[in-house]
Amino acid sequence: MNTTTTAPTVAPRRRRRLELNASLVVGVALTIGFLVIAIVSFFWLPSNPNIPNIKNRMLPPGTVDHWLGTDGLGRDIIAQLMVGARTSILVGAGGATISLILGTIAGLVAAAYGKIADETISRGADIMLSIPGMVTALVLAATMGSGALTTIFALTAFFTPSFTRVIRSAAMSVLQEDFITSAKLYGRGKLFILARHVIPNIAGVMIVQFTLYFAAGILTEAGLSYLGVGVTRPSISWGMMLNEAQQTVGISSPLAMWPGLAIVIVVLGLNLLGDGLRDVLDPKLKRRS
Amino acid sequence: MAIYALRKLAFFLGAVFVASLAIFILIRAAGGNVAAIVLGKDATAEAINALAHAYGLDQPLPVQYFNWITNMLQGDLGQSFRTKESVADLVTARLSVSVPLALSGLLLGLIIAIPVGTYAARNVGKPSGAVLALISQIGIAVPVFWAGILLSVLFGVKLGWLPTGGWVDWRESPIGAIRSLVLPVLSLGLIMAAVLIRYVRSAVLDVMNQDYVRTARAVGMTRTQALLSVGLRNAALPIVTIVGLQIAELIGGTVIIEMVFSLPGLSRMILANVAAREVIVVQSTVMLIIIFVIFVNFVVDLLYGVLDPRVRNAA
Repeated sequence: MNTTTTAPTVAPRRRRRLELNASLVVGVALTIGFLVIAIVSFFWLPSNPNIPNIKNRMLPPGTVDHWLGTDGLGRDIIAQLMVGARTSILVGAGGATISLILGTIAGLVAAAYGKIADETISRGADIMLSIPGMVTALVLAATMGSGALTTIFALTAFFTPSFTRVIRSAAMSVLQEDFITSAKLYGRGKLFILARHVIPNIAGVMIVQFTLYFAAGILTEAGLSYLGVGVTRPSISWGMMLNEAQQTVGISSPLAMWPGLAIVIVVLGLNLLGDGLRDVLDPKLKRRS
Repeated sequence: MAIYALRKLAFFLGAVFVASLAIFILIRAAGGNVAAIVLGKDATAEAINALAHAYGLDQPLPVQYFNWITNMLQGDLGQSFRTKESVADLVTARLSVSVPLALSGLLLGLIIAIPVGTYAARNVGKPSGAVLALISQIGIAVPVFWAGILLSVLFGVKLGWLPTGGWVDWRESPIGAIRSLVLPVLSLGLIMAAVLIRYVRSAVLDVMNQDYVRTARAVGMTRTQALLSVGLRNAALPIVTIVGLQIAELIGGTVIIEMVFSLPGLSRMILANVAAREVIVVQSTVMLIIIFVIFVNFVVDLLYGVLDPRVRNAA
């Protein structure tokens, strides 16, 4: 798990910004809540979310020991939601992390290693961006079989080109700064300059993008699992829960509400966190956000 | 302009080529013995070989790729192994569902997003602007299929105004077809709107700070007049681009919404054929969708060049 949420900024201005930044506060609170629930699920669950218990099927919300009720097979909703949070993190953060690494490498190469590398990588990214991700994911699920790994692979295929574009343009603007010229004059090599000067200066952009794509990854994973081509039991996904609710008990049941609410709260939290961090880490973009 | 258009055309063709290669490799490389899977466990070796031979599946992959491409260029998209229906027929039958759904969804999204986004930009820093920004932020977090479920609970189950799913063919009853599309379009349109509002808002905010808006204000126009006369036209450029980029997103949304409302559109056909290992149907249909998306982006790029001389001259 990537746990980086802070980065150095200029101290005196930072305090005032943080006070004014409601997005950041709400985003941090919701995201921490989400992470804590996922961590707790490893140590404690109300009951086993995968073992059917027909005696307890379709208990209404508010039942003792099953506070949000049970599903059509008597499995506890809270336990399923908690394990679902893990899946969201595994797949969402997994996809975002791998894309961030690949996108950073590709973006830096495009920015620093000449016109041919830039054209090849940028046009390649453009092409990948014009392929509808959902359709590709269906095909991937068909050839690789569904599951968490396939889903992470699909997310990586969607997100890497976007990361590449963002990192490339951020790196290019850093590379035009005077201190890069002086580092070159000093005789520093390209790799050294990228590692020592460019990456620290685009770290803010990287963190913001990671947060936003983490959120997008959770949404996409939920969509794929809803379609039945994402993760499969014994893993549990919020999208899968919605699919099961619709298949077995109909959409008007509260079973079709909880997983949706969970997705909205978590994705909203991460997006607010990303926007808030952008205001703090990337003052140039503040006006636009 | 001609050079700009040629560059874009070259990119379009290159993109289609790379995408076709990627799709072919993805579907076929991991495919195993397609003919054996299609015919099932009880098939004899002769039957498997006959099917493989009939569809050219026994040829080396590069030859199959070449045949697939040349056939497509001649308008032959191949046919289903089992039903022998041509892919072209299979696809066109589904378009009467998918196309109205996707287009109306996009249109509804724009109809909501342009005025609301402009209003949000005009009221930036005021409570009304902040509330709109928050609503759009929440809308972005709502998965499109959950929006569909909520709308169909409200209007289908609780109020009983509209069907919660299923499809009535246009030829049978146009009204019935429209009724089955209302909730899907609404779900898709609202979610598209949430995303688009942010782009419209930031595009309008950008032009509001431009020199030409200040000039217009200086010659005596009100803020609103300035925005309508010079602002919106300039804000239209980034919005056109975003619509191009959102096409891929729109198709993803359409795929899911068709499942939520059990509409017999393209995505259900693709899913069914994926499950049945109808590789030729899947690869041709997916390729058609991708060509369409790349083509839309090509047209958007051309439009952009026509509308803004700076773009075509920079390129």
